[in-house]
Amino acid sequence: MSRAVDRLPTWSGEYLLPAAVVSSAAILLVMFYYPIGTVFAQALGGTVEGTGPIVAVLGSEFYLGAASDIFARPGAVPGGILDWVRAGFPSIEFGLIGFTVYQALLSTVASLALGLPGAYLLSQYSFPGRDTLRSLTMLPFVLPSIMVAIGFVAMFGDQGVLNDALGLLGLGSVSPMYTLEIIVLAHAFYNAPLVTRIVTAAWEGIDRRMLETARGLGAGPIRSFLDVTLPQLLPAILTGALLTFLFTFMSFPIVLALGGLQLATVEVWLYAHVQQLELAQAAGLAVVETVITLSLTYAYLRYESGQGGLSGLGRGPDRKPLFGSLRDPKRIGLLAYGMIVVVVFLGPLLSMIIESVTGPSGLTIEHYSFLLERQLTGAPFQVKPLPAIVNSLFFGAATLLVAVPMGVTVAVIESKRFVGSRVLDAVLMAPLAVSGIVLGLGLLQGVVFGTELLGHRIAVTGPVAIVAAHAVAAYPFVARTVSPLLQRVDQRLLESARVLGATRARVRMDIEVPLIVPGIVAGAALTFAISIGEFDSTVILAEGSASYTMPVAVERYLGNRTLGPATAMGTVLLAVTAGSFVVIDRVGGWWEP
Amino acid sequence: MTALELRNVSKTFAGEQALDSVSLAVEDGEFFTLVGPSGCGKTTTLRLIAGLTEPSAGTVRIGGKPMAGVPPEDRNVGIVFQNYALFPHMTVAENVAYGLKFHDPPRGVSTVDRVQELLELVDLAAMGDREPETLSGGQQQRVALARALAPGPELLLLDEPMSALDARLRDRLRRTVREIQSELGITTIYVTHDQSEALAVSERIAVMNAGRVEQVGNPEAVYREPANRFVASFVGDNNLFEVQSVTRSVATVEGGAEIAVGEEVDPGDILAVRPEAMHLGSDDTVLEPRLESVEFQGTGYTLHCRLGTRDLLVKTAGPPTEPMQVGFSTGAVQVLREVEPER
Repeated sequence: MSRAVDRLPTWSGEYLLPAAVVSSAAILLVMFYYPIGTVFAQALGGTVEGTGPIVAVLGSEFYLGAASDIFARPGAVPGGILDWVRAGFPSIEFGLIGFTVYQALLSTVASLALGLPGAYLLSQYSFPGRDTLRSLTMLPFVLPSIMVAIGFVAMFGDQGVLNDALGLLGLGSVSPMYTLEIIVLAHAFYNAPLVTRIVTAAWEGIDRRMLETARGLGAGPIRSFLDVTLPQLLPAILTGALLTFLFTFMSFPIVLALGGLQLATVEVWLYAHVQQLELAQAAGLAVVETVITLSLTYAYLRYESGQGGLSGLGRGPDRKPLFGSLRDPKRIGLLAYGMIVVVVFLGPLLSMIIESVTGPSGLTIEHYSFLLERQLTGAPFQVKPLPAIVNSLFFGAATLLVAVPMGVTVAVIESKRFVGSRVLDAVLMAPLAVSGIVLGLGLLQGVVFGTELLGHRIAVTGPVAIVAAHAVAAYPFVARTVSPLLQRVDQRLLESARVLGATRARVRMDIEVPLIVPGIVAGAALTFAISIGEFDSTVILAEGSASYTMPVAVERYLGNRTLGPATAMGTVLLAVTAGSFVVIDRVGGWWEP
Repeated sequence: MTALELRNVSKTFAGEQALDSVSLAVEDGEFFTLVGPSGCGKTTTLRLIAGLTEPSAGTVRIGGKPMAGVPPEDRNVGIVFQNYALFPHMTVAENVAYGLKFHDPPRGVSTVDRVQELLELVDLAAMGDREPETLSGGQQQRVALARALAPGPELLLLDEPMSALDARLRDRLRRTVREIQSELGITTIYVTHDQSEALAVSERIAVMNAGRVEQVGNPEAVYREPANRFVASFVGDNNLFEVQSVTRSVATVEGGAEIAVGEEVDPGDILAVRPEAMHLGSDDTVLEPRLESVEFQGTGYTLHCRLGTRDLLVKTAGPPTEPMQVGFSTGAVQVLREVEPER
């Protein structure tokens, strides 16, 4: 029998996981559940004009419109409905929450309309750059939302590129700013690629032999699409729609920048309450919103887990070349779609860059000199560019250190099935469902303002809270990228290594970790992007302090009369984000593991 | 010397009895096969030997040493799985070298030399730098074999190693495995659901069913003298008849046919007649079945017949003639005394 010659001490692997679980749980508890708990406590215990904050929201005509009677005067509801029927179904207002739902519905429809042709294009046609384009559908999701908002202002604003162009052509001007349409379009910019991505994956997974069978049985192309393809795409389409609805319901910077208070949604109104330090009202609204978003997320997770086997093992579609005869009406349609895509996706980003280097008298660098001047001579209370860049990069790096180990830990827990693991899964994934504003509010009240414990005032500083907020927002995505890889690791590989002489800990290091590295790198890239772009909780936690980040700076400069400084700062943000991605891309192939 | 011994080994998974008091002894250098239908417990047995799972009761001994509580890395066995399980992030050579990180190579050769030696053994000497996924299924399986053998294990465990390969390749690789095994003289436990494979390669076979060992013996014995109805029907094709009544040396079986027997039988016994022990024309027993279909097999004919309400399988050298008459001698009849084992 040969002697065992190479052994790692067993503790290296045996105690790593429990330690990671305990520290992740501690961070979650202190930096997520406790802050959210304080918001709930205030909403349940506080008062607004003599009633509880939640009742104040639900019973208010302002928030719920006609539906508020259900909570304010339940007895009057049947009579009210009768009156409404007698009056011939006049249009009814459903208040701020009703408007938020309406806006999210419209955004979902727009995202499906813009995203589904993309899925058709990517799954059914082959063309140079198809794989790149498929990877790029991930990009909008990680672009800082405030930057996208600035891009839309730069393109569609009164002094934007669109109006400049119309002016040059002598065609008068348009004013789409502060309309619902522009918000919906910006939401489609974000979520259509998500729809494309999810549906493309499902479409590619449909075994083409099924379609061929249907055709062979006598179904025409349209009939076989309706009978075979569509039923298999529907779950993916619904998943995309649910996610889009959830994201646009919680959307904040886009609505803030493009809609203002006239078109405020729940999030914007919540932010307004926090700014005016109406914390009890804010708490009431935050709880109502969180209950809604939690239910949506729960519905999404339930639905998703019910959809196994979407990624088929059969042969994917037989892709047709995209570039061929233009007499095919489908190709003409796709060409038109391509142009729309270029305008919607490249337009805002290019407009932002163009606006940052042009002024009333043509090309200029005055906006960048403004940034430089502000950096050199700005008053202490003013937002300066360099600290914003430094803060963003610092928070990004710190978030990586916290979120990546947490995400990997969660993925490991998810891969093990034990009693109560589903509940734990839900507890660990809940941060996905809580909006950044609500978390920011909770962190502000719970841990930044501090709490009395045993006669000592315990509080953390703003930067710590910001990193915590970013980490809490990001780690579920790390878990999501690592988890599938971990579950795909063949147990036989691990068993083979054990039998060959490796200890449990050694197997983890030699076999398991290398196989999930692509997922960890991808998760790290997502984490960094989320941190750099995070606006919702940062804007609350950085209020009045020196911890502002690039997105906060962009928003502050937008307050000024011209677009110049904001677009210049936005361009800097774009450059830093893109630069970081080049670095991460070099470190590892992260787009699609 | 006994290389491996299982004594009264049982295993329950969540209340399900996967193994029921299995006892086996495998001699040093033997090629021993566990064969049975899926779910019979053969893979569970292999995993218990490797230490990948612990028995609920009973003892496993390797080289005389009890293995209770010994983790897989300390058992000095090699294992090859059906799906190859090569480490995808390592080259072929790195895969083969992996076990040598934990064991000194045998005979004091260097790791590099040992890897090369093993790759030559499986005829892949030039493939060391390749990534596993660039190899064919058969090549991957040979790498897996080399990897399992590299540390010089006491026992080689093969878990359905050929099942993912096509028939021709399977035959070739099976011979390769057998040659390497006899060259190295390594005790080998081979798990398969394919009884013809089991008969072809093994020195001894254990036929398993529903968590129990039904019969242990060399291939000829298991084929010619099956211990019970299960073994008779699982190993090779067979025709089984349950005896209903006996008059002198003629047994009337289920369905009414009469079969001449050369020994004493009782109602309830099973008579087994191999398809190839039958021929066209008359003999001690003559049956007149209805011919349903004929398959030409190259070496002969397989006749699917119907005898009353039951199927009858007959293998003959020549083509069938009308009217059908199938005969066999009393020597072709195996008698299985159905004594239900106590459970």
